[in-house]
Amino acid sequence: MDSGPSKQVEAFVALLVPPACREEVLGDLYERYRSRRQYVLDALRVAPRVILSRMRRTADPQLLLIQAFALYVSFLGAAWFQQAALLQEPWGLLRLAIPAVVALLGLMLEDAYATPGTRSPLRLVRGPVLGLALALVSQSVLWSGNPSLVVPLWILFYGCALSLLLSSAVGMWLRPPNDQLQGANAPVAWLKEVEEPARSTPGIIWILKGAAAIVVVLLSGRWIEDTAPHLMPRFVGLGGVAFGLVFIYQRWKQRG
Amino acid sequence: MARPDSLGQFEQLVLTAILTLREDAYGVTIHSKVQELARPRAVSLGAVYVTLDRLEDKGLVASWLSDPTPERGGRAKRCYRLEALGERALQESAVTARRIWDGIAEVWGKEVKQWGKRWGKERG
Repeated sequence: MDSGPSKQVEAFVALLVPPACREEVLGDLYERYRSRRQYVLDALRVAPRVILSRMRRTADPQLLLIQAFALYVSFLGAAWFQQAALLQEPWGLLRLAIPAVVALLGLMLEDAYATPGTRSPLRLVRGPVLGLALALVSQSVLWSGNPSLVVPLWILFYGCALSLLLSSAVGMWLRPPNDQLQGANAPVAWLKEVEEPARSTPGIIWILKGAAAIVVVLLSGRWIEDTAPHLMPRFVGLGGVAFGLVFIYQRWKQRG
Repeated sequence: MARPDSLGQFEQLVLTAILTLREDAYGVTIHSKVQELARPRAVSLGAVYVTLDRLEDKGLVASWLSDPTPERGGRAKRCYRLEALGERALQESAVTARRIWDGIAEVWGKEVKQWGKRWGKERG
């Protein structure tokens, strides 16, 4: 009888288990090892529950709600720009919710698989990218199963682009500084790990903040133009004043 | 001290396992102990992990990583111990279980003692 699992099998199982609990779970599975088959079955039984538990621990309900809103608004906005008639269709709003929900699931998975104690500016974009990749995959699966629920291609692409901006911006503004250590008593190993300070990200943050603001202004402008065109000059004026005030406030904050 | 939430049956089993294992409470041993306590019901290792996470979030248990050992392929154990809140929650559960037992024994009398013997044989 082998004394332990092969390196390849163990590496595969290590991929399944989130990094935060990988050490102890792999150790426990190794200790219980009797045969390769038993090891793989054990791992396949344990992994889903460990992943779900980790998702529950890392998920911040408030942040998720805002992310869900941002994702759905992105697809709604894209549909409104590209094909407003879709919003009037009986299942139109539901069709738009499908990629948003799948993308949200991707965000949760990314959080669950994040390595505790490391913070990188890329991580803020990685979640939305993974979520949107899953959304695209789900659309292709729907295409073969139930094409009536598929979102038109250009709406999907515009929605994904808007989601990427809004979701990353939301993540930057609202992510807690301790990088999501949830619960009254987070595992000691996480707490002890020294967090690397986020490296110089102001440039990226400014670009994403600016892009998100432009998207919001464009969407609002389009809506006002359609519903009350006579208010357009005021909207443009107010927008300019708001941008000016934000700029002055930022300069004042930097000096302070 | 804050009053702990009431415990589910599986949570009681896991806390009891940690209490009895003392210094040796980690994933594999807790699972074995819980299986022994819950027999003939089968218990999965995944369910034990989920419950341990939940108990830790509630502040009923604390955990730490031990040194890596060769019999685990050079991996560390995550060891658990009861926190004061966990001890209190388990005490309350035990007292409630005792009251249930007394209430049943009052009505069914000696029959209850025979259950213990019979179930012990069937399960063992």
